[in-house]
Amino acid sequence: MGMVDAARVLSRPRAPTAGRVKDRRSARLVHYAMLCPTLVLLLAFLVLPAIYVGWLSFNTSTYGQDSTFVGLANYAQLFADRIFWRAFWNTFFVVNGIVYVELLLALGLALLLSGPVPGKAIIIAVVLAPYAITESSGIVMWRYMFEPDIGLVSHILGGLGLGQLDWSTNPVETLLLASTIAIWHHLPFTFLILYAALTTVPRDVLEASEIDGATRWQQFRLITLRLIMPAVLIAVLFRYIFAIRTFAEVWLLTEGGPARLSEVLAIYLYREMFKYHQFGMASATGCFMLVMSLVIAWPYLRRMYGEVMRSA
Amino acid sequence: MRRRSPSLQVLRWALIALAMAWSAIPILLVVLSSFKEASQIFEVPFTLIFRPTLENYRTLWTARPEFFRALGSSAIVTLGAVLTAICASTLAGYVYARYRNRLLSGTAFGMLAARMLPPIIITVPLFPILNVLRMNDTHLLLVLLYAAFYVSLGTWIMRSFVANLPIELEEAAAVDGAGLIAILGRVVLPLVVPGIITVAIFVVVFAWNEYVFALIFTTRDARTAPVVIGEMLGTVEGVQWGVIFAAATVQLLPVVTLVIALQRYLVSGLTAGAVKQ
Repeated sequence: MGMVDAARVLSRPRAPTAGRVKDRRSARLVHYAMLCPTLVLLLAFLVLPAIYVGWLSFNTSTYGQDSTFVGLANYAQLFADRIFWRAFWNTFFVVNGIVYVELLLALGLALLLSGPVPGKAIIIAVVLAPYAITESSGIVMWRYMFEPDIGLVSHILGGLGLGQLDWSTNPVETLLLASTIAIWHHLPFTFLILYAALTTVPRDVLEASEIDGATRWQQFRLITLRLIMPAVLIAVLFRYIFAIRTFAEVWLLTEGGPARLSEVLAIYLYREMFKYHQFGMASATGCFMLVMSLVIAWPYLRRMYGEVMRSA
Repeated sequence: MRRRSPSLQVLRWALIALAMAWSAIPILLVVLSSFKEASQIFEVPFTLIFRPTLENYRTLWTARPEFFRALGSSAIVTLGAVLTAICASTLAGYVYARYRNRLLSGTAFGMLAARMLPPIIITVPLFPILNVLRMNDTHLLLVLLYAAFYVSLGTWIMRSFVANLPIELEEAAAVDGAGLIAILGRVVLPLVVPGIITVAIFVVVFAWNEYVFALIFTTRDARTAPVVIGEMLGTVEGVQWGVIFAAATVQLLPVVTLVIALQRYLVSGLTAGAVKQ
């Protein structure tokens, strides 16, 4: 799902030339009507529910009970809950692990494929394939390889004397496998952003630096990396935003067990909402996740706000 | 360019092969094993040469009719979401590309910011309300949800495609007396087909594979294939691996084919955008 945002970001249209804007008639009622389907969908399913979640987080309610305003009590209860903090730190380590390992792998792969490579279209098609796999099938595939005692990779690791990944009972190893699966799923996204950025690095600049005697490492560090830095930052930002949502990878491995030790924030929210029916606590968790996302996205949003409003 | 030493070339190809193996092997293992008998599935070493059997597919068909019903639901929901998202975002993308004022820019930015919202959050307020409205477990709900989470991206993509069309074509049509509908339908629409295909791929991949909303908002009638596959993995009486492999294979085939066939839209969409920056 992540690839999408990159496309949106990168395919930002050029600012229109001044002449065109002047020629343009102002928007009429019919044009606002054309926006309605999009805006109604966004209002009904994103904006209003998000505002309502904020309100719910200051109330306590469940099925068959009127909600009562409790101020910050839900947040107090949330921050006093050791399981919540466990879920927070699990999310913290999973997210950071995913983002940076994936970035390194994607950058390496994009560099490998950036020059002329025979059969490039086929290679990229294969590399993109995990993007098209649903999360539950991804879990099926990785569990098949890592099933204790009988999985293919479990056998190989055992044969090498490394023991096997104890993902079903050891929470650290659950999260390790979940992160690996998440990286497998989303590598195509990060790869595509970086690959697209690398194709824009001008060849003649690299050639000129070569004549000046730059080493390959200097070329990479001083030219290539600097030119693709905006794309790297975008990739990192969107992977953060999406990794915070991690749910299915952990849920389908252990449901956050054993003893809720491998829960991430999205699973904590899901349990509060759909197992314990504590709407207030679930809302507070949701607000916490939203604030985390907005804090991470803040520099990007501020810059985009400037650009979008400037063209108004 | 610098000449590459043969050993570096070998290393380069070894790494490329490794990347391809990392991406493809989990998928291939499951697809191949779906044609194996139960006793062969966990055989070590993994056998590539075996007598293929359709036994798992037969069992899937007879013992798991809910999977095929779910596959039908997935198809309905995906089709609905794609059509909704394309219509909404083409209309909106056109307006954003051709008209500008503070109100329009403000809503365009709002769309962008809305994408930061973790989707699971909205299930908290929506679930009880939708229960009252009897909207839970309907195809329509998933169609609207999936479209809602992709119209912002779709609008931004369509806006960039429309913005790259010369406005003179529309002006010429207007001089010839064409109205807004004629201009949109006969002038703009045929020229933004690549944009529509790009939006469609993103929405198809999302809607066909989405897990969390489908898990939460459906129980039976609108259950989609990814959720049923997840349920098959969680059965207490022991996992029937071969049957799950068959289900996963059936589910992934159409979309993996689509992504590979239309990959240039994914890649060129990104590349074209990056060049422009």
